[in-house]
Amino acid sequence: MIKKLIMSVLILFGFSTVTNADVKIGNPMARTGPIPELVKPMSAAVDLAVEHVNDQGGLFSDGQKYIAVKVDSACDPVAAVDAVTKLVNIEVVTGIVGPVCSGATIAQAESVSIPAGVVTLSVSASSPAISEMESNTDLVFRTAASDAYQGIALAELAMSKGLKEIAVSYANDDYNAAIAGVFTKAFTSMGGKITGNEAHEPNKASYRSEVNTLGAGSNNLALFAYYGSSGITIMRNAMETGAFENFIGADGMLAQEVIDQLGAENLGNVTFTTSASDSSTDAFKSWKKHADAANVPASDPFVPNSYDAAFLMALAIEKAGSADRSKIAAALREVANGPGEKIFPGEWKKAKEIIASGGSIDYVGAAGPQDFDKNGDVAGLFSKNTVVDGKWKSVVIK
Amino acid sequence: MWESFGFEFINFYFIPGLVLGCIYALGAIGITLTFGILRFANFSHGEIMMTSSYLTWEFIMIFTSLGILAHPLIGAIPASICAILLALFVDRFFYKPFRNAPTIMIVIASFGMMLIIRSMVQVIWGPNQLTFVKGIAKPNAYIRDLTASFDFMLLIPNKHFSILIGTVLIMLLFNYLLSSTKIGKGMRAVSDNPDLAKVSGIDVENIIKATWIVGGFCAAAAGVFLAMDTQFIESTMGFRMLLPMFAAAILGGIGRPFGAVAGGLIIGLAEELSAYPWLGDGPVISPGYKSGVAFSIMVLMLIIKPSGLFKGKVF
Repeated sequence: MIKKLIMSVLILFGFSTVTNADVKIGNPMARTGPIPELVKPMSAAVDLAVEHVNDQGGLFSDGQKYIAVKVDSACDPVAAVDAVTKLVNIEVVTGIVGPVCSGATIAQAESVSIPAGVVTLSVSASSPAISEMESNTDLVFRTAASDAYQGIALAELAMSKGLKEIAVSYANDDYNAAIAGVFTKAFTSMGGKITGNEAHEPNKASYRSEVNTLGAGSNNLALFAYYGSSGITIMRNAMETGAFENFIGADGMLAQEVIDQLGAENLGNVTFTTSASDSSTDAFKSWKKHADAANVPASDPFVPNSYDAAFLMALAIEKAGSADRSKIAAALREVANGPGEKIFPGEWKKAKEIIASGGSIDYVGAAGPQDFDKNGDVAGLFSKNTVVDGKWKSVVIK
Repeated sequence: MWESFGFEFINFYFIPGLVLGCIYALGAIGITLTFGILRFANFSHGEIMMTSSYLTWEFIMIFTSLGILAHPLIGAIPASICAILLALFVDRFFYKPFRNAPTIMIVIASFGMMLIIRSMVQVIWGPNQLTFVKGIAKPNAYIRDLTASFDFMLLIPNKHFSILIGTVLIMLLFNYLLSSTKIGKGMRAVSDNPDLAKVSGIDVENIIKATWIVGGFCAAAAGVFLAMDTQFIESTMGFRMLLPMFAAAILGGIGRPFGAVAGGLIIGLAEELSAYPWLGDGPVISPGYKSGVAFSIMVLMLIIKPSGLFKGKVF
């Protein structure tokens, strides 16, 4: 009896995967770990893109459902490899939208998605190392700009604030070490002086010896860390002992948590950069209209990038004409780079009709034009963020 | 002397190391007790710490909503009772069935409990960090001015003062319990030789319960002190402390609560002091490697004297 039951369940499952007319993509994101607050709206943006695709006719001529299978990559290389292995082998996804962190993205690409021939379209991994990681394949893309640019933007910002000497503290991971390296090089070449440059180990209860060692040389700290694993603690320890007065840093630190925990009154001399969108473009206006309607914060870090990634992946699958993994990379370049009819966020129906009639499209995204170069990278803008009235206020650096 | 050496050393390296050491010590007591009496490495100990700081946060919120402005140490009282109940509950339903099974099974069970408790906390309170105490803690102005008038300026925030005094009080209480009460003598007896203790008429199950109560209480204190120090709580905070606490327990000698205290203080101080510029201007060892320092001490101890500083058990 039990054997029969098991058999029938197995057959049922077998049938359901065969007859299932859905197209699945994997969506690994750092839902737990050091930056859950940043990831929540990013995940909502992916959902919004999926909703747009399904509400406006779905995929292919028979209107197949576009499904993003959500897993937790935890901003951790090991967790990401586990999560993506499951997506690639068990869920049999067509492509991957995510992960969030650079270390996680590199690890899962090297050990899972590249060997399996699956396209990874990261939404926010910005380490310069990702540009050069592939040889002979074209499978890793991202909708966020490389930190090779953000590190320079941050160095220029430090100079414009009149900080001639600065100490650097970075968390020892792929993303933070890479951007700290770019920053240090750019800052020195602009004539600045690095008074101390130390890695720190994330997830410690106290960083007092770190900040005091570094604080002996300068009052200014360039901090490259994730807010949840070491960033807030370092800033707190630095402020408590008066080791540093001015702080600059990048996207990993940009969260409301920082203000909530440290208090806005203590953050007068803090500036963080992040990747930003030019809100004057037509594409952004179209995105903002949809995002506002769905209650997704349109301008938050990497939220437009997340929408673009999920939408581009759908366009690429539609263009490829099937859920065949091997056709996605070429199709992705075609729909993103053009030439062709311009498609803005939310215009799935229009794009689908053009593709059906054999035409070409060029997706212009919420976060920028989203044209991939030979490394699968896109250009991007950055903003500087300071605390105004208890909130982060963002100004685009032109 | 004070200006050139003492001020920076005491305030920025020694006191923070002492505070960290106190937290390690309290956590290590529970680990070494369960190791000594139940003979297994309890991986879920860090999660009891973490859960009690979440519970403290919850009680502070409840008090605040009733219009009472509560200090974390007041919220910690009901929270530590809950933590003790949690430890007893886990033991009754998840560890007791393995009492006579091979040790590896109960170790794996405790590993499973660690993941279960952490996931439950994430389900209830979410994966985000929660703010325990907002803002930054400036040094106590009274102590600063008083000591400055003796040319001996100490910069201690109130939170560190509470942690240091709280730890000393708990240690004194613990010392009394272990050396002067019947239950404490029973605990020492079971730790030395459980079979002999049983035939001498000691109720081993009662002693085990007492062990969980003491261990749970110390874990709750360590968790709340840790949260007071870092001022935020998140679901892996206990796990992050687990390895240094194990190191402290091993350093002091397994089954030796006072060894665990000494081990905790040594590990905490070693971590912070290794970054002090002992030679020249730069740190002796880059602070990025300070956990390496703690574990080198532990490994050296295991090689040279596996029974630890206080003649603990060797398995």
